[in-house]
Amino acid sequence: MTRGSLFLRKALWAVVTIFVVVTFNFFLFRVLPGDPAKAGIKDPRLSPEMVAALQERYGLDKPVLFNTGEGGLFDSQYFRYLGALSQGDLGTSYAYRNRPVSSLLGTALVNTLWLVVPADILSIILGVLLGLVAAWRRGTKLDVGALMFALFTWALPTFFLGILLLFFGSRYLGLPTGGRITIGLDQGLWATAGDVLRHLVLPTLTFALVLLGEYMLIMRSSVVEVFSEDYILTAKAKGLNTFQIIRRHGFRNAMLPLVTLIALNLGFTVSGAIQVETVFSWPGLGKLTVDAVAQRDYPLLQGAFLMLAISVVVANLAAELIYLRLDPRVTEA
Amino acid sequence: MRHRTLALLLGLLMVLAACGDDDTTSTTQPGTETTGGASTTVPGDTTTAPPTAEGGTVRIGWGGSPSSLNPGLGELTEDYTVYELIYNTPITLDMDGNYVSELATDWSVSEDGLTWTMNLVDGATFHDGTPLTSEDVKYTLELYRDCSDWCVYMSSYFDGDEVIEAPDPTTVTITKEAPTGSFEGRMVFMYILPKHIWEGVDPGTFDNTEMIGSGSFTLVEHRQGEYVRLASNGDYWGGAPVVDEVIFQTFENADARVQALINGDVDMITEFPSTAISTLQSDPNITVATGEPLAPDLTDIIFNITEPENCPAEDGICSGHPALRDLQVRLALAHAVDKQQLIDTLLLGLGTPGIAIVPTGLGVWFNNTIEDYPFDLDEANRILDEAGYADTDGNGIRECPASMDCGDRTELSLRMNFPDDSDTGPRLAQTLADWWEQVGVEVQIQVLDPDTLTSVCCPSLDFDVILWGWGSDPDPGFLLSALTCDEIPTGLSESGYCNPAYDELFYAQQTETDLQARIDMVHEMQQILWEDLPYIIPYCALSSEAFRNDRYIGWITDTTKLALEDPSSLNVIRPAG
Repeated sequence: MTRGSLFLRKALWAVVTIFVVVTFNFFLFRVLPGDPAKAGIKDPRLSPEMVAALQERYGLDKPVLFNTGEGGLFDSQYFRYLGALSQGDLGTSYAYRNRPVSSLLGTALVNTLWLVVPADILSIILGVLLGLVAAWRRGTKLDVGALMFALFTWALPTFFLGILLLFFGSRYLGLPTGGRITIGLDQGLWATAGDVLRHLVLPTLTFALVLLGEYMLIMRSSVVEVFSEDYILTAKAKGLNTFQIIRRHGFRNAMLPLVTLIALNLGFTVSGAIQVETVFSWPGLGKLTVDAVAQRDYPLLQGAFLMLAISVVVANLAAELIYLRLDPRVTEA
Repeated sequence: MRHRTLALLLGLLMVLAACGDDDTTSTTQPGTETTGGASTTVPGDTTTAPPTAEGGTVRIGWGGSPSSLNPGLGELTEDYTVYELIYNTPITLDMDGNYVSELATDWSVSEDGLTWTMNLVDGATFHDGTPLTSEDVKYTLELYRDCSDWCVYMSSYFDGDEVIEAPDPTTVTITKEAPTGSFEGRMVFMYILPKHIWEGVDPGTFDNTEMIGSGSFTLVEHRQGEYVRLASNGDYWGGAPVVDEVIFQTFENADARVQALINGDVDMITEFPSTAISTLQSDPNITVATGEPLAPDLTDIIFNITEPENCPAEDGICSGHPALRDLQVRLALAHAVDKQQLIDTLLLGLGTPGIAIVPTGLGVWFNNTIEDYPFDLDEANRILDEAGYADTDGNGIRECPASMDCGDRTELSLRMNFPDDSDTGPRLAQTLADWWEQVGVEVQIQVLDPDTLTSVCCPSLDFDVILWGWGSDPDPGFLLSALTCDEIPTGLSESGYCNPAYDELFYAQQTETDLQARIDMVHEMQQILWEDLPYIIPYCALSSEAFRNDRYIGWITDTTKLALEDPSSLNVIRPAG
């Protein structure tokens, strides 16, 4: 099978997967107990007329799957949703009255990327380096120290690490206690950029530390395994130095499991860093999604999960393509 | 639903924080731009002082974020805080709980009790310079009266029969078909909107991003989930605030909020864990104040006592334990609740024991003559023994007496639910379970999200015991209505309680215009509820706030109530030193 048709087949599967996820999520949220017409407005004084008006506005007065009454078989919540979706319309949020889901998600996504991308990059670079060094120096104090550090940061609950860093960082380093910017600073672009960076330090560091441990552990064990292979021994026998062995023979083979992990983590990037966002009052996607669940905000939930599904599927697709480059044997799969 | 929301006044300190949203609104502030610019010019120096005058910017850290700038759509405490600062109401509640004038200089009722007349202040203007007249008041009241198909709370302050007239620019009359005893309470949340702006839009979908009002502050910028920026209205008819700007910043995490105050990132915070109080008090630059919330709140232990004949035909499941319908069981459980200990351990003392559904913070409406059931586990055991609930199989749990039809639920084993957004819920549930198990009543605790809790609560009445709470209007009428028979099918009644004697008093007090007579009726209703025990009210929590005394001084803390949503403090505070 050629690489081109392999890619096509994988891409087709990705589209099918996303469609299944869209459908599954649509029904999943509607199985939850609770009524969005009431959940948005949690007031017992809500009149029956208003509940009816809200249900009509949201289209919740229609049947979920097939409309056996007037309006035709496909005048239902599900097919209306698919119809709007095919035109790129994610709908209007229930909880944030009158606001399009796409703009809510868009703003939150940008905020989340500001936080998560630097943290991802930092944790991947540091994790990989630390893992490599630890594997190369296996059994030494350096290895044990790095291992302990990685296990510790990995095991520490995110919100607790966040609170600790918030406490020490804000008290002894003068960093801000939360939020995205200093409100009312109004001092031009560069001052604002510096201000945003200062606000980013603690949440990014928290998230990076949390992710780092996993990368380090995977990288270390993967390199340790590769180093025990015969071809490494051969390379040594050929007289290659350490750096050459790692670069030409060790790293590439050890990268395979890491690529899987990175792809998985990047895919989930758009789900945001819920706990970090909460501790540092960062207005990102994670918090938005959690609030949407609490409010039974179907359109917002559907939009958020659609975005999550797409990014996970795309990240996995990307991982498979990288496999193809890293390891020619993968073509057979 | 219910509880946590009555955000109105809603003292419930819920953090229904909204999240990242592009809803940034910017409006230029004539008031701030014209002040300060004309400063003295030193010879040789051509620059003028920046337009930030000496009043400075007050930064406040809070847990939530407004959900809507449209007063018809707001439902959170944070919404109402902003409305109070931007808009005026005809009548307002002062910090001691009295009705005092705001836009209405005085008001009176006709002999027959049907027509209320309000005289408005002279010279009130909206932020855009347009004078506020009786036409705006008439327009607003009619809008709220008729908004039941789009607004959240406003229409509930009307009966629908009100005829509103504006005979001259400073007079408004409201005529009803039946007298009402709670006129002032209804006017407290009537945020007067500018007719010339609102009549040109669809009120139900209007975002109101400029928030033109007549209050002491104007909106500068609102970013959903992040902050709200307000500027002092230099032309405020009631006298401009001293400070130039007020910023409300959202800190979702309470510990971060506390740390922000300690570090000086903010000048004042609301809603912090009571465990943080001692830390805050140990800082000489921080003052902690406590008082009754503007919207008094209460925590309740709800018993499902729905009689089968009262079960809502359409939605009712009515699965409450049959033994709970026996007053003796509820009486025993009431003796097995140590309210003071709950206040001391859960609230670190910041609360008062409750009696019935009227919170202690409602002043004259609270019946303080009732001597509560003492905490006495022996007495509780005695009551249950006497009523025939014995532990016949020796497993530590009592069973229904043979004479009672308990179906397959012969053991006194109760389901107990509470909402997952409650800080105190887990400890309250566990403490109650420990006490009740000592009198032979088993408790199975299950935490539910508020929406699911609503669906088991009412009107399905599919629970045994729920731990929840209410925030109250300044008038007790609404909370008292939750215990009438008529509200069982609507879902407002949480207990299924139905007592014709109580209902008769309820409907009588609704139309009673003599204040003392109405107070007496409301007190008698509390006596009935205390005897019938559809609820146990363990406590009413106090509210607390903390501010840096090295930044701003003049915060009002010597009143009975303490609330940020009352703008009086923000109008008078001034920079320290």
